[in-house]
Amino acid sequence: MNGRQHRLLEVPPGVQCFVGDEVRRRRAIERQVLAIFEGWSYEEIIPPLFDYADVFSGPALSARTYSFVGRDGSLLALRPDFTSLLAKIAAGRLGQRPAPLRLYYSGEVLRYELPRAGRQGELFQMGLELLGGEERAADAEVLAVAAECLTAIGAQDWVLALGHVGVFGGLLEGSALDAAQLDALRERVESKSPDGIREVLHATHVAPEVTEAVVKLADLSGGVSVLDDARDAFVDVPAARAAVDDLAGLVAALVEAGLGEHLAIDLGEVRGLDYYTGLVVRIYVRGLGFEVGSGGRYDGLLGRFGRPLPAVGLMFGLDPLAAALEQRPGPEARVPRAATVRDADLGRALVRAIRERAAGTRVRLEAGDEP
Amino acid sequence: MSDGRLTVALSKGRLLAGSEALFLRAGLPFPENEGRRLVVELPDLRFLFVKDMDVPTYVEHGVADCGIAGRDVLLESGSDVYEPVDLGFGRCRLVVARLKGTNHDLHNAATLRVATKYPRVATEHFLSNGVSTEVVRLAGSVEIAPGLGLADCIVDVVETGRTLVENGLEIVTDVATSSARLVVNRAAFHAHREPVKRLIATLAEAAA
Repeated sequence: MNGRQHRLLEVPPGVQCFVGDEVRRRRAIERQVLAIFEGWSYEEIIPPLFDYADVFSGPALSARTYSFVGRDGSLLALRPDFTSLLAKIAAGRLGQRPAPLRLYYSGEVLRYELPRAGRQGELFQMGLELLGGEERAADAEVLAVAAECLTAIGAQDWVLALGHVGVFGGLLEGSALDAAQLDALRERVESKSPDGIREVLHATHVAPEVTEAVVKLADLSGGVSVLDDARDAFVDVPAARAAVDDLAGLVAALVEAGLGEHLAIDLGEVRGLDYYTGLVVRIYVRGLGFEVGSGGRYDGLLGRFGRPLPAVGLMFGLDPLAAALEQRPGPEARVPRAATVRDADLGRALVRAIRERAAGTRVRLEAGDEP
Repeated sequence: MSDGRLTVALSKGRLLAGSEALFLRAGLPFPENEGRRLVVELPDLRFLFVKDMDVPTYVEHGVADCGIAGRDVLLESGSDVYEPVDLGFGRCRLVVARLKGTNHDLHNAATLRVATKYPRVATEHFLSNGVSTEVVRLAGSVEIAPGLGLADCIVDVVETGRTLVENGLEIVTDVATSSARLVVNRAAFHAHREPVKRLIATLAEAAA
């Protein structure tokens, strides 16, 4: 046998197992969330656990994907996310179905990832994708679904932190940064580090006023009024300004729907830039140090599978949701008591148990005679 | 956290004096003579005193809402935290240094042995320059490693450079510059916005 010596009870890093109330809490959350997805007319897809590796070709994930060679020599991969699989299904099996498509999923994704602040090698995700349809309405819809989920499961002080990658993209339009420079810059914007942004851009040919605009961008976070500041700041950059207006239109609808107090604007949220094309969202619950969910608009992905459609999606991590609700009494407390069925005659015991079950009672079959 | 009071993680090491001066300049409370206590509760703020390498960890996990950490430590930890303010103090350089007078080209070695407290930074630096490295991870006194034949060079922080000279070393090249940074947990930044933003603004103003 290859690999490191280990005892049979040892667990590999990044995997988890749940028992008792941990399971009940997770399943209760899952049931509530999936019922809400159904309630907004989303349809469940059960995608495969593995597929050809090139289905999951996002550069951000490829380094963390478990891939292996199939019998015929093709490179396969365990799913590191659901979105690519749903895009493939929407373009393949569901290719003839007219858009918009409302799809959801619930299950594990697998990644090479050492456990750390909300990251695990095995992550249980519940998410939805809205493919096609009018874009602002679609963005608003998935955020409204997320809001209903957070309210229903009893999360308190939750925040939808919204950004739009088009603002960053607009500011850098025509600046001809190479991939490494863009990556370094994105990391510094993501860290909201003004000095870091200047340091990265100082070494490039980017004009000083563009550098200062990016510094400003990293600072544009807070309540919805941040959008007014952003409009003023980027008045001379049409592409960035258009993205701000786009986000402002969405936010206006959400505020009208009573979600204003749960919104944060964060234009420095530029993670997954090679993937997202518009709205980006991260969902936080106060008291938990990392996000419970995330998502965004990815209009480029379905084209890869031959069915170009705009798309927006969003997912919750089951573990962080469970962790965020840990301090509160959960639905797992309501396990009904079981009726004990016991009879020296096994046949009679089974008859009684089956009768109790038919009446909907929770039973517990005990072997043997009375104690 | 749950009582609405912010928690700040501070280093017990190199950055402690600068952090204290900054808080006092900002008119913020700071624990006095707490000796060996590692968690200090004041009416408005809770302080955690931890190892400098651990500050980003406490903040990334949200156990602390904010913290003060050197850029060198942040580079090494790779933590996913916001880093909105360069506080200006604790300035130093992360450098590659070797024994003075050795002339062989460090960037042209088959495998270079590097002694350091910064394995991630050191590995990244040499690999990105095409040099295979064997990292000798040390917890301190890194400067003696080349003289004793434990490593070909070191990657370490330098403030004045005196320790290097005393151990017969010379700087070959700079890897990064560092200074104390205010770091903030991402979730606290958004979900606890008002007090966190106030604290950031207060400290930024005092640092300017």
